[in-house]
This record gives sequence, structure tokens and C-alpha cells, in this order.
Amino acid sequence: MEQKKLEEVLRVIELCRSVESSSANPFDVDIKAKIKLLKERLPEWKFLDELLVDSEAMLELAQIVRLQDEWLKHRASALYIDPLLIQLKIKLLEKGALSEAFIRSWHPVAQLDQISPRGLEKAFVYWRDLRPMSERFKSQFGTNGAVPGVVDYDELVSMGVFTQQQFDATLKELQDELMERSNGDWIDYREFIGSDTYEGKVKRSYLLAFLISEGKATLRTEPLTGKIWVTALREKANTPPKSVAIPIGEEA
Amino acid sequence: MSEEAQADRALLERKVRKAFQVLVLQRGRNPGVKGWEMKRSLGRDFRSILEVLSEEVAPLGLEVFEVKGPEGTDDSSRFLLRFKEPPTVSEAETSGIRIDDLAVLAATIAFVNSKQGRVGRKEVEHFLREKFPKWRVEYSLDRYVKRGYLEQDERSMIHVGWRTRAEVDEKTLMTMILSRAQEAPKK
Repeated sequence: MEQKKLEEVLRVIELCRSVESSSANPFDVDIKAKIKLLKERLPEWKFLDELLVDSEAMLELAQIVRLQDEWLKHRASALYIDPLLIQLKIKLLEKGALSEAFIRSWHPVAQLDQISPRGLEKAFVYWRDLRPMSERFKSQFGTNGAVPGVVDYDELVSMGVFTQQQFDATLKELQDELMERSNGDWIDYREFIGSDTYEGKVKRSYLLAFLISEGKATLRTEPLTGKIWVTALREKANTPPKSVAIPIGEEA
Repeated sequence: MSEEAQADRALLERKVRKAFQVLVLQRGRNPGVKGWEMKRSLGRDFRSILEVLSEEVAPLGLEVFEVKGPEGTDDSSRFLLRFKEPPTVSEAETSGIRIDDLAVLAATIAFVNSKQGRVGRKEVEHFLREKFPKWRVEYSLDRYVKRGYLEQDERSMIHVGWRTRAEVDEKTLMTMILSRAQEAPKK
């Protein structure tokens, strides 16, 4: 029963909102009846939520009264013309005639668009204090300022990420693992490169890319599902290589 | 003329000159100056100074115009200098204004006024699309909302903007549309 009473108030709010968001006549809302309803229900509300709904309904009714006021003022002004008539007239008019009607009732504003001495001074100070591009984002992105690029094997070795022996051994390990897990079938690429850490995942994907480039493994993609399959090759592939870009996210 | 009268006259001339400068120099994004700013620059009797200024600029084809604010108070009113008479069609055309854009604005103002001053944006777009291409309707509406000729509230209802109230004689516009439409459309 309580729920039903609350629904009545919610319906008042909805009605008001629908009138507010359309060009419907605000006098379609019977303000007197709605306020009477709210007045009757008010003593029955016990909870804060119910009282809030009641005050919201009052607010919406106040908005409708405001719209009624505007509606009356507009109707009383000389601007009121039957909507159907004006729509018909606009449809009949040529674009040129419409714009001419506008120009003949138009009094453009006269003003000067110019920069003031104060504005000029502000612009000068801004330009003077503006740091060069290369220094501007130092704190966020470091001082390198290098754009993203490709790190090749030689660079990794020179950076000390790998030594030649380590790299060869790790690559062999991964190839064996792929051979064993795929066993002549296709296996899920993302499952294969999966690791406990993001760094581990990137490392495995880098090594796998190396195997694929060497022709020791191959990829197959399914554009519709987005699935990527990988398998090890017993013999080195002789088909011309194709480039595939695969983003490696932390969550993937 | 007595010295006192001369001093009064000099003061008035100074204030009128200042009023002109305040009105003609754009401060901020929108043209015109609010009533409270006028009061601060010219003093409490700013209205009489603006009246004198309006007479002074009349030979140049200008007038001081007041747009009433929502509260209807002196402080909320906006004062601006505007053309006393509308420009001719050829003058407007040579200033680089597109006829199609003006036609969209004219049709929108008339449509909004016919709907008691407020109408949903979708409804306006639907109505205008019978006459103008979709891209022009959306582009022009956005542009006129941005420039203050139209207002769009949080419920996407379109109203006539303050700039239309400042620059457009809406009664003349409605009358022109009604009388012009009686002419046979060109084929």
C-alpha cells in the first residue's frame, strides 16, 4: 500500500519532467490536484527517502508553475502566432526570403575586437616564461625525449638485458616448450606467453616473435573472434614473412 | 555660461566619452556591459549618461540598447551599442554572412517563438531538416548556441538567446515571415 502511494508521487515527478523536456502545454498539469495529493500523503511519510521524493515533487511542480508563467507571458505578447501557421509559412518561404526577413529585423552589435595593452602584456609574459618543448614534460617523461621505437636484439644485448649465451639458451628453451605444448596443433598465443609478471609476458612475447621471424614458429589470426593461434614448426618455413602487430596489455 | 555649468558640462562629456569606450571595447567573450559594471564605471546615474550617449551616436546610425536580464533588475541588464537601423541585404551579404546560415537562424527563432519560446532540439532539427541539409542544421544550431543567439538548456530544450533579444526585432521578423510567405514560392 505504501509502495502504491509512493508511486503516485513518483508519477507526479515523471509527468512534470516530461512536460519540462517537451514543448507541451504546461497547463496540462493540474497543479491544484497534484498539490492536494502531496498534502494528503505528507503525514504518512516516515522515512527520509520518502520525504525527499515529496520535496522533489514539490520542486518539479514549482518548475511547472514557472513554465506556466512564461507560457502566459509569451502568449500575451505579440510574438504568439499559431504554430501550425508559422511552420507552414516557413516551409513555403525560400531560403533567400527567410534570410532577408532576418536581415530586415536585425540590428547588429557594434563593438571593437582588439587586444588591450594588458592582454598584450599577459601574452608576452606567457611567451617569455614558456619553457621549450624538450624541457616541458621532463618531470613526467624523463629527459630522453625519444619517441617510441623498436629495440632490436643488439640493443638489448648492449643494454645488458641479455648476453648472447643467455639469449640463445632462453630462445631454445622457449622453442622446446612450444614444440612440446603445441605438439603439431595450434595453441592459444596469449595463453602461451602468459606469465606471473607483465615483464615476463613481454619477454616471452619478444622471444616468440624472434622464433616466428626465424621461421621456427608461425601464427594464425582469426579476425572475427580476435583469437591468435601459434604453433612450432619442425622445419624452417620458406614462405615470405608477414608482419603482425599484437598489443600486450597487463591484463591480457 | 557660469563656471559651475561649464564644469558640469565637462564632467558630463567625460562620462559620455567613458561610456562609449566601455560599451565599444569588448571585455570577455560576450559583447555589451552588465548594469552593475556600468554603475561602477559611470556612477548611479549611468542611465541618463547612456541616454545622452544614445543621442550622440544616433547620427552615426547607432543606439544604446538594453537587454533585460532574467531578474529584471538594473544590475542584471546588459547594455550594448547596436545599429539603429537594420543593414541592407547587400550590406549584410558583403560582410561575409552566409544566406543559408541566416535562414536557419530565422526559421529557428520563428519556430521557437511559435512553440511558446521553448522547443526540444530534436524537434527543431527535425523541422529544419525538411528545408536544409542535416549537416548544416547541426552545424548552424551549435554555432548559434555558442554565439548566444540561441540557448540550449540541460534538457536539450532550445530557447531564444540573449543575443537574439539584443539584436533581433522579433516582432518584425515574425511579421516579415508571415507577410513574405504569401508570395508564391519560386520554382
